[in-house]
Amino acid sequence: MKTGLASAAVISLSYTLLIFLVAWYAHHRKMSGRSIVGNPYIYSLSIAVYCTSWTFYGSVGKAATTGIDFLMIYLGPSLTAFSWFFILRRMVQISKENNITSIADFISLRYGKSAWLGALVTLIAILGIMPYIALQIKAVSTSFYLISGFQGNSFRIPHGDSELSVPSGFLLAVILSVFSVIFGARRLVSSERHEGLVAAVAFESLVKLASILGVGIFVTYQLFDGFSDIFTRFQALHPEKFTQLFTLSSANNNPEAIPSFTMLFLSMGAVMLLPRQFHIMVIENSDERHITKAMWMFPVYLFLINLFVMPIALGGILSTGSSAGADFFVISIPLTTGHPGIAMLAFLGGLSAAAGMVIVESVAISTMLLNHIFMPVIVRFPPQAWFPLLLINLKRLGIFLVIFLGYFYYRIVGDSFMLVNMGMISFSAAAQFLPAMLGALYWRRGNKTGAITGILFGFLIWFYTLLIPSFSHSGWISRELLASGPFGLGLLKPTAMFGLTGMDMWSHSLFWSMLFNISGYIICSILLRQDESERDQVRKFIGIFEVERRQYHSIEAKRLSKPVTITQFVSLMTKFIGEAEAQRAIESYRGTRELDADGNVSEFELPNLKRFTEKSLAGSVGAAAAGAIVDSFLSDMGSRMESVYDIFSTVRTSLDQSRESLFVRLKASEIINRTLDLQIIMDDLLKLLLKEFRLDAAIVQLKAEDGSFSVRSYQGTNRRPINEQHWFLESMPYCRKALSDRKAHFVNDVGLVPQETLEKTIAEGILSCAYIPIFREGEPSLGVMSVFSKSISGLFTEEFISLLASLTGQFAQAVTIVQEIEARDHERKQKEQALLNNARVLRDMEIAQQIQLSFLPETAPELFGIEMGGRCISAAHVGGDYYDFFRRDEQTVDLLIADVSGHSVGAALVMSEVRTLLRAQVNSSHNASSILQSLNSQLYDDLTRAELFITMFYAKYNASTGRLSYANAGHNHPMISRKGLAACIELDAEGLILGVKQSVIFEERIIELQKGDVVLFYTDGLTEATSQEGEMFEKERVCSLLGRFYHLPVKEIIDSFYQAVAEFTGSTTLQDDISIVVLKII
Amino acid sequence: MISRVRHRILHRLQLRESWMIFFIMGIIMLNFPFLHIFNKSDSVFGFPLLFLYFTVGWAVSIAVIYLFTLSVNQNNSGRHEKKEP
Repeated sequence: MKTGLASAAVISLSYTLLIFLVAWYAHHRKMSGRSIVGNPYIYSLSIAVYCTSWTFYGSVGKAATTGIDFLMIYLGPSLTAFSWFFILRRMVQISKENNITSIADFISLRYGKSAWLGALVTLIAILGIMPYIALQIKAVSTSFYLISGFQGNSFRIPHGDSELSVPSGFLLAVILSVFSVIFGARRLVSSERHEGLVAAVAFESLVKLASILGVGIFVTYQLFDGFSDIFTRFQALHPEKFTQLFTLSSANNNPEAIPSFTMLFLSMGAVMLLPRQFHIMVIENSDERHITKAMWMFPVYLFLINLFVMPIALGGILSTGSSAGADFFVISIPLTTGHPGIAMLAFLGGLSAAAGMVIVESVAISTMLLNHIFMPVIVRFPPQAWFPLLLINLKRLGIFLVIFLGYFYYRIVGDSFMLVNMGMISFSAAAQFLPAMLGALYWRRGNKTGAITGILFGFLIWFYTLLIPSFSHSGWISRELLASGPFGLGLLKPTAMFGLTGMDMWSHSLFWSMLFNISGYIICSILLRQDESERDQVRKFIGIFEVERRQYHSIEAKRLSKPVTITQFVSLMTKFIGEAEAQRAIESYRGTRELDADGNVSEFELPNLKRFTEKSLAGSVGAAAAGAIVDSFLSDMGSRMESVYDIFSTVRTSLDQSRESLFVRLKASEIINRTLDLQIIMDDLLKLLLKEFRLDAAIVQLKAEDGSFSVRSYQGTNRRPINEQHWFLESMPYCRKALSDRKAHFVNDVGLVPQETLEKTIAEGILSCAYIPIFREGEPSLGVMSVFSKSISGLFTEEFISLLASLTGQFAQAVTIVQEIEARDHERKQKEQALLNNARVLRDMEIAQQIQLSFLPETAPELFGIEMGGRCISAAHVGGDYYDFFRRDEQTVDLLIADVSGHSVGAALVMSEVRTLLRAQVNSSHNASSILQSLNSQLYDDLTRAELFITMFYAKYNASTGRLSYANAGHNHPMISRKGLAACIELDAEGLILGVKQSVIFEERIIELQKGDVVLFYTDGLTEATSQEGEMFEKERVCSLLGRFYHLPVKEIIDSFYQAVAEFTGSTTLQDDISIVVLKII
Repeated sequence: MISRVRHRILHRLQLRESWMIFFIMGIIMLNFPFLHIFNKSDSVFGFPLLFLYFTVGWAVSIAVIYLFTLSVNQNNSGRHEKKEP
């Protein structure tokens, strides 16, 4: 029973439409930022693109003919899943890192971006996949024939009088090609993930699983009564067949059989290495965490899809009676038992399986074809504006090419092979990538020559022992070759190389190809060396996990000999990937980086920009071609990547700080700590730099305190005094710039700066120079260190500059310390000087004190009937107190006590002036008031000028009369203690302080003294002495003390008063000068 | 008790070596000596011996991978927790 052509076509078309809808929906969701594809379930389902119509139809066919060993094809991948956590994750990480677009890209990138290797891998992929695509076309067209009941191999379309005949397989190939173009080649950027494609593939995986489970359940439980029912009935009916199917057969009893190990090995390799598997698992992976889930979900999928294969196969044999046409039991059983609906479900499952595989495979391979076959040719031509259009159309062409190669293989080989055996040819081809791939990930020594040799040998043997015999099976190539070898050489028979017989052709091919492949790879890798670009890649591929641990950031060991601007890179990218893509790429690059004022990157950043450009291009054209494009662009610009002079030799791979750098730092800190002499430090430091880095001149300039900027140390060969003709002066603008912005400035190639700025420097033979400011973090710079090289341009790499900067930092520390020490020294000296000066003043003051004391009368004059005494104790060295006695004649004596305001030297001087003036009047016989009056007028000017005042009490005593005449100029009132009188008599007279007014009239008073009277003259220091409680000595206390002491001799009265004051204040030092004069009438 | 055993099993599985061992064990189980043991046309409970061996062995291997991914997740989440404070 057939469903008819029309309904089959309609159902197929609507199913196709559904898949488009799914893809469109996924794409739409992605555009709106809510991707449905980015989850582990979709990822696992998409990996199931591994299950093609081979699985869907071929497994049943295989199970029905050779038995249970078909499972090996699925046990292998299931086993491989164990290793995904290590291998697949690493592959995904590397691919994301490098914008890898395909397996050819991956392998060629690891082996130094080798264009030849990429082309070889692509070629193998195209030829190797041919039988596999043929298998799909065969499966779908046969199943379509079965389901629609359509006869023959071609549609006949009425066309005028004649009929146009279109083979159905051809039509299918066209449809699949268009499909693939729409899914995978709408845009050029192939490293970008195709969410629509992935969603469609995942959906198809779901459909084929559901479909085969549906058919399986139908056969097992509808037609039969469960698993054991099928098994027991089969065993009863076909005991011989039962034994054959449920034991592993060998080539001896079945020529079609493939040993289980061969299948296991091939399938383990294929699940990772087939271009479509690599594409889905690595390129389309959105998050490497999904791998962990896929590790068990993918095996579960395989398990489920194979669960009912055996029952269907046995059921098919039971219901049809033989294993003929077993490849299509999935459709034929429901059809023969009258269930067209189930048959249609099975057909859709098979269609899904085939379409998913063909689309992904052709997209993956066309990318490889474009990047590794077309691009190396295209990059030889100068870039044109229409390149993006050309590239995308070449990619589409590639898709058609891949599918039609498969179609032609199907036409030639056609029905001479079973589905599974066709697929095994492709698996064998993919296995040729295995040694180079594993070596890429785990063997550091694996090199380009080894990889090319191994893959080429493996490929040639595969081609000769497997592909050619497959053609001759169908009679396309003469059978003679198979039977007796080329030119009758039996040793070279394709299926029995070197006389190896008794093996099936797959194991035979696998053995020889792997032998030559692996040994070619290993031998060449061991014998030959890797070139530099390969070593770079080895670090990226194998060092990547060490990177994670150490956070080691790779140091670019290359520089561009001539700077290239961002704009130039953008215009280059535009020519290959179109303007919009180029702008988008450069925006993402700019976002994270600092640019200088002109919108350009720094010299250190240029290699990164170059690498970024390569990476962006690699996303579209593959790594090898991208490298070639950028290199040829640079050489057109007259620039090239040149090796940076490797100042730190070798150790940088293992240590962030190289040994040399550490050594220099250590040496420098020794130099700096050895001495405090800046000159020695500078000289030694520069000598160290000259010696270690083979520089030719080094100069340190330091800023002096007065702001001048001078050369402090100059080391190097061929030194000349720095005068106006010296070449170094041309560098001053750089030095000043470095000084002010505290950034290192350097010229890596003096040839590139305007000629006139460094004319003499160039004439001197300098090739590169650098100016490094000397400063401590956060402080203004102290100077500049300049270094010059005559031998190497491009000497100043980022790391070298940072080393120099750290040295100047250390040096700045030393300079600061030395300056601080100097400053402290200076301060100490100043203090010492001050102390010294102070001491000198002190000594002078002591002398002054002595002199001043000597001005006071040593002893009082002796006069009959009276006893006198006086003393002055000053608080400071010199004071303003003064007292004196002048003996006029036998009877008369003048007494005076005075206090010049303040205790300064000025007061002392005024006091001495007062003394001089008074002494001059000793012989005149003026009375007290007139003496004060003339003294006032004489002193007025001096006192006003010195802003000083004088209080004075002047008394004249006549012993014969006993009268004391006196005048007062604002002084404390002297006291008289008289026998029998409790209170004291105070002596007072009108008069102003001296120095207030030019002329003052002083009142003169007279008091008659009696025998026993004691007159006490004192200065305010006595009454104003303050105790610790803040109490003043006061006149009352003076008076009562005087009453207590008045019987004592004059000298003891004075002593007693000083003692009383000391007791009262509780201190031996005085707060103010105290002078006391006592007159006692005997 | 069960959770402790489970924890210990998961901990053991974290070792890379245990993974190599399982991988190699899988390859051995699918090769000559072991396959030869089951390469007989006997039936057990109506199921052919080899069919049963493959099906059950496969299911067990998937369970092992599942346990491994669990241990990986546990390990990762443990590490994240440590990073938090």
